[in-house]
Amino acid sequence: MSDHVRRAASADARGPIARSPIAPAPPVAAVAGWEVSARRSDADLTVTDLTPLAKVQVKAPWDGALAGTLGGPFGRAERSASFEDAEGDDEDVLVVGSGPGEWLALGSPGTAPDLVERLERLAARLPNPEFVTVVDLTHGRALIRIAGERTPDLLAKVCGIDLGETVTPNGAAFRSSVARLAVDVVRYDRDGTRSYLLHCERSSGQYLFDALLDAGGEFGAEIDGFVEPGLS
Amino acid sequence: MILLPCPWCGPRNVAEFGYVGEAGPRPDPASAGPEEWRGYLYGRANPCGWVAESWYHRMGCRRYISVERHTLSNEVRPLATEGAGR
Ligand SMILES: [Zn+2]
Repeated sequence: MSDHVRRAASADARGPIARSPIAPAPPVAAVAGWEVSARRSDADLTVTDLTPLAKVQVKAPWDGALAGTLGGPFGRAERSASFEDAEGDDEDVLVVGSGPGEWLALGSPGTAPDLVERLERLAARLPNPEFVTVVDLTHGRALIRIAGERTPDLLAKVCGIDLGETVTPNGAAFRSSVARLAVDVVRYDRDGTRSYLLHCERSSGQYLFDALLDAGGEFGAEIDGFVEPGLS
Repeated sequence: MILLPCPWCGPRNVAEFGYVGEAGPRPDPASAGPEEWRGYLYGRANPCGWVAESWYHRMGCRRYISVERHTLSNEVRPLATEGAGR
């Protein structure tokens, strides 16, 4: 039994307390209190429900001091240096510049309250006060990851943005229409393999998941379950 | 398809935007009479030619932008106004 299955099995005894809007493909397990799919796929193109990740929205003046500290300027996604702990370890927080004066911080499952606190501390430490809002959106949004070399071909069927290297290189972030939904898209390559994160309203999560699987059918897209910590 | 030049996001499909309407100066609330308010709220010039318009980028940056559109050819050109940000 692999490590993640054993961990999922032990969490299962406590029972999940949170559910993604996307119905988990069987077999179902519990990870960090979330009901997730434990299905594993080694297909060339995979679709994964990453909704259990902590999602925190930050709004502040686009040209203000927090914008300078936070990292992830509009149109870019970065691991933020502001989130390193005392030992200098990378705490696995991805800051996405999803709009002018708008950020989305993604962290490991269960870390949202801590993330909110740290973001508020960051805002409180600014030399000149500015209007900042920090909102935990974890249970209000859905997050999906697609991975594989053919992901640009899949996305091109449902999104009008140029997915080429010059316009959207690794780390690019934009909000646009994906399958007719307003979706935050982040290019997030993993070990040199193309990958995208897609973030939308919770109520649209299942639809977007199904639409991506449908569009990816011709490329052999398969569901790959959730593995902690989610953002490798 | 109409492409609108969003100053934040670049050229985007018009389907990502909400149409707000002809752009014009808001009357001074302190001195404007009912006639002037009526004209501001409901009166539209609707010319055959270039018209300044506001659009809301609801599926993108969620900012209001201003463009000039030719109502006959649907040709669009950017219009630099305050609030566009950059
Ligand atoms: Zn825009």
